[in-house]
Amino acid sequence: MATAPQAHMFVREMGLPLRLALYLIACLILMGLDARYNTLHFLRSGIVSVLHPVQAGLARPFLHLEEAFAFFAVHAELLRENARLRENARRQGHALQAQDMLRAENAHLRGLLGLPQPAGFVGQPVEIVQAMSNPFARKVVIGSGSLQGLAAGWPVVDERGLVGQVTRVFPASSEVTLITSREQAVPVQVVRNGLRLIVSGSGQDRLLEVRFLDMHADLQDGDELVTSGLDGVYPPGIPVARVLRTEPPRHTPFARALCLPVAGVGQHRQLMVLQRQLAPAAATTTRSGAAATPPAAAGTRPADRP
Amino acid sequence: MKREKSLAPRGPQLAAPAGAALVIGSIAFAFLLGLLPWPVGWHWLVPDFAFLVLLYWNINEPHRAGLGVAFLLGLLVDAAQGVLFGLHALVYVIAAYLALSLRRRLEKFSPAAQALQLGPVFVGKEALVLLVGLAFGRIAIDWGELASGLLATLLWIPACLLFGRLGGRPVSVQASAGEEK
Repeated sequence: MATAPQAHMFVREMGLPLRLALYLIACLILMGLDARYNTLHFLRSGIVSVLHPVQAGLARPFLHLEEAFAFFAVHAELLRENARLRENARRQGHALQAQDMLRAENAHLRGLLGLPQPAGFVGQPVEIVQAMSNPFARKVVIGSGSLQGLAAGWPVVDERGLVGQVTRVFPASSEVTLITSREQAVPVQVVRNGLRLIVSGSGQDRLLEVRFLDMHADLQDGDELVTSGLDGVYPPGIPVARVLRTEPPRHTPFARALCLPVAGVGQHRQLMVLQRQLAPAAATTTRSGAAATPPAAAGTRPADRP
Repeated sequence: MKREKSLAPRGPQLAAPAGAALVIGSIAFAFLLGLLPWPVGWHWLVPDFAFLVLLYWNINEPHRAGLGVAFLLGLLVDAAQGVLFGLHALVYVIAAYLALSLRRRLEKFSPAAQALQLGPVFVGKEALVLLVGLAFGRIAIDWGELASGLLATLLWIPACLLFGRLGGRPVSVQASAGEEK
């Protein structure tokens, strides 16, 4: 539609198509900048540091409502859940004792062999403020940020396994990209035979995939995958997924495996962020050595966990 | 006095322009509505309220809400959703342009007929968001998202009635004028 014959007597402003073109160019430049460079973080951080508290405030009444409903939960159900949790705690206590012993033994053996001690991790409980409502990224916002000492790249777990990774940190909130997100990849190892793989998100809610699987790889349905720890990001041994089925190669030289995440990805409100803590023995090794540890250990790692 | 009376328009009553407070306030309210903790499994169905209100004011108060407001709102949505800066801004600006060019034609239709004509804009907006995301390679495409566009189309009718009432615009007169063809 022509804009020239308008009611204004003297039209001094730019025409609509021209303004559209200018805005479109601005948008494209912004998108390019944001996709390729990290220059816009200050802008995002500014907006988000206002938005996330507002969002948390908006969510609060609904939270109270949920709590009010939970208050009227059936007594018997609570008793049953309590019994189940106690049983769980007992079982995990046993496992933990065994693990403590193994850890001590492992540290001793590593000392004997002269290998550097693996880094330890400490957990920091966080709460999900909001699940993001866009189809591009499976992300959640947690209510802790750089003020609580969080940093981008830290792994996020729940009580069953790996949930995701902190990807953007703002002052009082952070974005966690879930492992089901399509661009998220986790280096894993098959518990049964130590085979190393990379598991990626499929973009669907409860599905992961191994995209480029060697067609002769020894991977069976039901195999458990845990983090290998070779990336230096995730601690070794966190359960990630269980293989659902493997698909033979079609049109490509690679097979593909579909896996189910072990953790309740997108189910809980409370999560745990893991922070790397250098073990005392590892701290004594040179700083460059610490950075070079993962690739150097790559050859030895499978051997010492048969 | 006499002269004024003879010049008075005999057509439908003209509405006073809506105030800036109403326009900005309603867009802000709709934006906050979108930030509410909607059930996690149903995000694909939640309509883009802010976009709906933006389009309404684009059509009915183009001097208050033009391309600039669309651009800024888009940037806000991008920050809130954690996607690329400029993605929603791009889509909103294009949609606002369409609405501004269609505006003269739509004015004469009833809300239901307007919804019918704006349906492609609402659904197209969802499709464009998905396609731009695809172009920047950050996507697992889920065409179910288009359903929220359809829902927004349906919501156009109550939105028209609500904002028509709030802005003092006589909706029923427009509805009767819609049958002139």
